[in-house]
Amino acid sequence: MIQVEHLTKYYGDYPAVRDVTFFVERGQVVGFLGPNGAGKSTTMRILAGYLAATSGKATIDGVDVFWDSVEARRRIGYMPESCPLYPEMRVVEYLRFRAGLKGLYGSARRKRLDYVLERCWLKEVRRQLIGTLSKGYRQRVGLADALIAEPKVLILDEPTSGLDPTQIRETRKLIRELGEDHTVLLSTHILSEVERICERVIIINKGEVALDRSLTDGEATGRLEEVFVQITGAE
Amino acid sequence: MRATWTLIRREVTAYFLSPIAYVVLAAFLLVTGHLFYLTMTSLTARGPVGIEWPMRGLLADERFWLVFLFIPPLLTMRLFAEERGSGTLEMLLTAPLRDGQVVLAKFLGAWIFYVLLWLPTAIYLPVLLHFTDGRFQIDPWPMATSYLGLLLAGAMFLSLGMFISSLVRSQMVAAVVSLVLSLGFVLAAFWRPEMDTSGLTYRLLYFFSVPLHFSHDFTRGLIDSRHVVLYVSVTVFFLFLTVRSLESRRWR
Repeated sequence: MIQVEHLTKYYGDYPAVRDVTFFVERGQVVGFLGPNGAGKSTTMRILAGYLAATSGKATIDGVDVFWDSVEARRRIGYMPESCPLYPEMRVVEYLRFRAGLKGLYGSARRKRLDYVLERCWLKEVRRQLIGTLSKGYRQRVGLADALIAEPKVLILDEPTSGLDPTQIRETRKLIRELGEDHTVLLSTHILSEVERICERVIIINKGEVALDRSLTDGEATGRLEEVFVQITGAE
Repeated sequence: MRATWTLIRREVTAYFLSPIAYVVLAAFLLVTGHLFYLTMTSLTARGPVGIEWPMRGLLADERFWLVFLFIPPLLTMRLFAEERGSGTLEMLLTAPLRDGQVVLAKFLGAWIFYVLLWLPTAIYLPVLLHFTDGRFQIDPWPMATSYLGLLLAGAMFLSLGMFISSLVRSQMVAAVVSLVLSLGFVLAAFWRPEMDTSGLTYRLLYFFSVPLHFSHDFTRGLIDSRHVVLYVSVTVFFLFLTVRSLESRRWR
């Protein structure tokens, strides 16, 4: 579903992503890990069509994200880090607007709107201004936006950062359920989360893939942390 | 197409969700209202004073252009700078829309608000046209050409402002820079009295000086194709540059 081949991105002279290659199969939930500044967000932005890679190739469902960017974007639900929204709009207005941008109108839009409001626990704040929402609710609005056009692929950049433990748990449960009919690539810093939701983990360090393997069910909790520290801590 | 329309609608409503729309509207109506009052005074004056072309009283006045200069930058400063500053640009540009659609929608949103700004002034027209006994006492054609000129000149200033807004992160910087650049299209008019109108300098300045276009042509019922070509081509040029400037994020 997601194919990334030899992706490289330079910011000026600084290589943020260096020769990254990985594949994500349909219906997989993949954790994208790495220390701050490792190139996670840059890779995700390239996949979402916001930035272009310096070299290399990425396709979503067979569509090239650079050459056929709009078509690729139709297949992606993307939630950026820190989840920027328009504070002056109401939740329902915002989601309706986003659905319109993604080509959803009329009764199809109403149906999807009801579905995501229900799914992301936004029913009781639907008429509230986004600016007055707490961080947790804003993240949910971002997630609802990513989901609204029923994309095949979800790219979530730190969907649980800044949430309280209950919300993290709810979000985690939601993502696991979404993994049943969407392909999910999510980045996070919380390793235990990856162990619980993801079938596979990709660790990226200094712009390069350092580890790419599936998580077996029997893997002991805490094992991933050791691996992570081993990879990223070794200077 | 419908996606573009969705974005246009959000852009127009966004103006009304911020205080800026109301401030601009109020200030604008205050000034045009005052100029209307002055025009009416000269139209009804006794003795050897008066006004030949009523629209000149409204649109050829330096005071009008000084105020007008501030309006497009205030309308366009937020277009991209705000979205870039708050990070929502990333959300907008990862939606399945081409960059050209985004630019066009934002431009049309600003332009529609600009048209709404002018709409209340339409109530002056029947008075200026001296509408009595079921017919106009004054030729309505100069009004039509004046409004045509305003719509096109506005588009030019708005596209310039939008381009500047697409380059920077701060709304304040966007407003100030586009104000200074717009001055280039207005300032020449203020040197007029000292200039030899047959000289080359004047002819060149006249080509770019929007207030002169209004005082000589549009308000007198003339449509000079040179002015129309200037407004339309500058608008298209800046729209093109804005698309390029948005695309530049991809290779920077």
